[in-house]
Amino acid sequence: MTARPSALQRSGRVLLYVVMVAAAAGIMLPFAWMVISSLKQNNQVFTAPVEWVPDPVVWRNYLDIWVRADMVTWVRNTLVLSVAVTALQVLTGSFAAYGFAKMRFPGRDALFLLYIGTIAVPWQSYMIPQFQMISSWGLNNTLWAIMLLQAFGAFGVFLMKQYYESIPDSLSEAARIDGLSEYGIWWRIIMPLSVPALASLTIITFVSTWNDYLGPLIYLRDRSLWTIQLGLQSFIGEYNAEHALIMTGSVLSVLPIALIFLLGQRYFVEGIATTGVKG
Amino acid sequence: MNRKIMSGVGLAAVASLALTGCGGQDEPAAADGPVTLTLAGWDFASTPEFETLADAYHEANPDVTVELKEYPAGDDYDTALTADLAAGAAPDVFIVKNLKNYVTFTEGGTLLDISDVAAELDPETGGLAPMAIDGATYAVPYRQDSWLLYYNKALFEKAGVDLPDGSWTWDDYAEAAAELTEGIGEKQVTGTYLHSWQSTVQGFALAQSGAPLDGGDFSFLAPYYERVLAMQDEGSQPTYATVTTNELTYQAQFGTQKAAMLPMGSWYIGTLVAEQESGAADTFEWGIAPIPQADESTTGTDATPVTFGDPTTMGINSGIDESKVETAKDFLTFAAGPEGAAALAGIGITPALIDDTVADTIFGLEGVPQDDLSRFAYTTHETLPENPVGPTTAAIQTILGETHSAIMSESTPVDEALAEAEERVANEVG
Amino acid sequence: MATPVAQEQRTLGFTEPGRPPLRTPRTSLKLRNALIGWTFILPNFLGFAVLTLTPVITLFYISLTSWNIFGAAKWVGLANFERLIGDKSFHTALGNTFYYALVHIPVTIVVSLGLALLLNQKLRGAAFFRTVAFFPYITSIVAVAVVWNMLFSPEYGPINQFLSLFVEGDLPGWTVSKDWAMPAVIIVGTWKDMGYYMLLFLAGLQTVPGELHEAARIDGANTWQRFWNVTLPCLRPTMFFVTVMVTIQSFKVFDLILVMTDGGPGQATLVLSQYIYQKGFEQFEFGYASSVAVVLFLICILVTVVQFLYNKRKEA
Repeated sequence: MTARPSALQRSGRVLLYVVMVAAAAGIMLPFAWMVISSLKQNNQVFTAPVEWVPDPVVWRNYLDIWVRADMVTWVRNTLVLSVAVTALQVLTGSFAAYGFAKMRFPGRDALFLLYIGTIAVPWQSYMIPQFQMISSWGLNNTLWAIMLLQAFGAFGVFLMKQYYESIPDSLSEAARIDGLSEYGIWWRIIMPLSVPALASLTIITFVSTWNDYLGPLIYLRDRSLWTIQLGLQSFIGEYNAEHALIMTGSVLSVLPIALIFLLGQRYFVEGIATTGVKG
Repeated sequence: MNRKIMSGVGLAAVASLALTGCGGQDEPAAADGPVTLTLAGWDFASTPEFETLADAYHEANPDVTVELKEYPAGDDYDTALTADLAAGAAPDVFIVKNLKNYVTFTEGGTLLDISDVAAELDPETGGLAPMAIDGATYAVPYRQDSWLLYYNKALFEKAGVDLPDGSWTWDDYAEAAAELTEGIGEKQVTGTYLHSWQSTVQGFALAQSGAPLDGGDFSFLAPYYERVLAMQDEGSQPTYATVTTNELTYQAQFGTQKAAMLPMGSWYIGTLVAEQESGAADTFEWGIAPIPQADESTTGTDATPVTFGDPTTMGINSGIDESKVETAKDFLTFAAGPEGAAALAGIGITPALIDDTVADTIFGLEGVPQDDLSRFAYTTHETLPENPVGPTTAAIQTILGETHSAIMSESTPVDEALAEAEERVANEVG
Repeated sequence: MATPVAQEQRTLGFTEPGRPPLRTPRTSLKLRNALIGWTFILPNFLGFAVLTLTPVITLFYISLTSWNIFGAAKWVGLANFERLIGDKSFHTALGNTFYYALVHIPVTIVVSLGLALLLNQKLRGAAFFRTVAFFPYITSIVAVAVVWNMLFSPEYGPINQFLSLFVEGDLPGWTVSKDWAMPAVIIVGTWKDMGYYMLLFLAGLQTVPGELHEAARIDGANTWQRFWNVTLPCLRPTMFFVTVMVTIQSFKVFDLILVMTDGGPGQATLVLSQYIYQKGFEQFEFGYASSVAVVLFLICILVTVVQFLYNKRKEA
């Protein structure tokens, strides 16, 4: 069925591309404003009306952010946290998800609902009792606190469990008959088949830790522990704010993630091999 | 606690710490040994007042070191400090940044009773008297900003409008703003600029009308709101909608000469001077005038203009080590007294105690306007609090904040919004 | 199953001596499965129970007390909940939250599913477009709010300037108008979330076997029929996940509204999460704030349970 596309189909395609490019431009407009502002002088960032062309163009901002501010420390801390939290979430989450998805035991569904239930509670409402508990262990003002907070969330478990449910049981059954233990099945069969979900979980956890503000605000007091978001916020001084530098920092903060996402595309859209299995 | 047990424990602690070779930070020291006090402050890079006070005190008392602990700036300060207080991790001395939280901190038992410190201070110290709750004081002011009127002399000359002379009422102000806008005749330049905070309208209304905040009647706000809405419609100032959605900043608007006048707190003096020096603001001649008054009775350089401003106060953490209490109280007396005031004035901060030395120091700084009216405006005023100390202030201010955005965005007419606010206060505030 | 096995099932796990069992007795199999299941769950559950579950349970306890964070909590029973019933601001917040959720949920699901379907194909530059769609999600919320506020600026913003070309008369005040603030926030919320949910749908779409599509095409099904009869059913676990997450996140929305409109103008965009924050951190009424959180929790759980049961039924 590889007939050459008709003229209508081709022009439909072209129109589609036009629409997509226009939509992409629209979606990126706010980001474009961020980049433009990052190249402005401080007092020119917020004006009425908006000035779309910076005049003068202050390239120095991209130097100043590293020199004047402690961006290196912030990036390092944010990287440490993001990597650690992501690794923990993905591992423990996918491990636990297997138990929920593929194993049957009493109370499973109720426990799972409990997990989802905690997602339903806004974090600000239990953040103080949680802070008091973690402080009593002496972990406030350390990066460990943030790692502990984020690493054992219910989100990862939920995402992976749903994905596992779409993997046919026949695959694990066959492996079981072959003598593979449950742990073996999880590692050898299920995990390789869930690469798209794992990739999604990885990037989502990474991004949410990378951009987290309230957590570091409450827990990290020392300047040497600050994350990027905390550091950028410090540019909002009591009597003035370095808006241009904040935008510079925000632009720099977005780029690594966009790059990881762009380069890692094939993991998100890799199909699973289901040859030989009838649905 | 039994002193014998305490000193016994203290000795054992010192011994064990010495044995393990750790530094003895928490060992209870005698009152005349070296003491370290921890002080909570914010944004040390652009707020040098904490360091100044710490250094000045250390110079006067060499065996006391005031160690600064940095907290986030802005509203986040309260959130972070609250968390630390709840977990018992807050420093020995901390600033009560937002006066409306003072009562809560006190009720929660986080502040030590320092009525003895308050009694020792000069009764003229700005903002001191209202800090008393049932006769006891728990925090003392070390700085007290007041709201003044800043004006751009160059733009006034360009528009051919008479400079302020200290005799203005709000109507005079509105008239001047309209004339300025027309006289300057440049797009995007207005006669005045009103920032989006609720205090820019409500602070003046509360102070100048003399009405109580918790009286349940907000009609005292009506004339002030009607006036600013009229000015907004007239084009004398950027609209609230523009200010908020475009995130305009008062520093940029006045500093880059987009507004000829600006009602703002006295802290802006230091900022404007610094910005003119660094080039972030244009170079132009400016002055300070007393804020416009409600009526003629308090105008003119023979009377005392009424304005508003909250003191920034300092209190002692009730969880402080007992041996450090005396030192902490002494530090507070220093900070709120003439020595602290002199140190603060040296960096352009308006202390709570304004005497001639302070005024001379401030006006001796490079870039500060030297004319008589400016000096009068800075030194002579009756400053009433924006957030009067009381158990319902925080709740009422939240409601009034929502009222402010409803009125200024012209979503709700003034009378309707105020009536709604009164209803909500009756319904929600105990 | 063979009868000897059934017989064995009824005994308490003993097998006849000397006779190799055909199958492990049912009850010890169940036990074995339960144990293995728990070993899988335990690492995550331990951290979860201590770090999340305990504070959440504490929250429920606090909702029955009056607490200003700094002292001891004073037991007041259901007084907080009684107070909620007459609290007009609470009703406003509740209404606004539902307004946001009821619009945001379907719009986001449709848009993100559409994006996922569109960008799942072998289009040139699909990777680029997927990254573009994801950009809003990775940008810091403060920058997002600042930019969108400016775009929505009634006098100077590009959106109104663009609209003025087509529309006569008064243009919407967007974030400074009490009627248009919530629609503005919903638009930004959808813009921000669509890439995130698109990603989740993309992952789910990878599980749809290509052969089924082929088979359907050969049978003569058109695009819509293939979507409805092949794609959607295979996507059910993902759809359940996305629906539950969008629902919960919509009811819990906080950061975006806080930085964009701060609940204003007036209380036009005040939602439950912000009301909790206000009562807790601005007025230090933590007990009362916790009771609002409990209500929010109950709403989310109710909706989730309904979705859960619906999903289970469809699974059968």
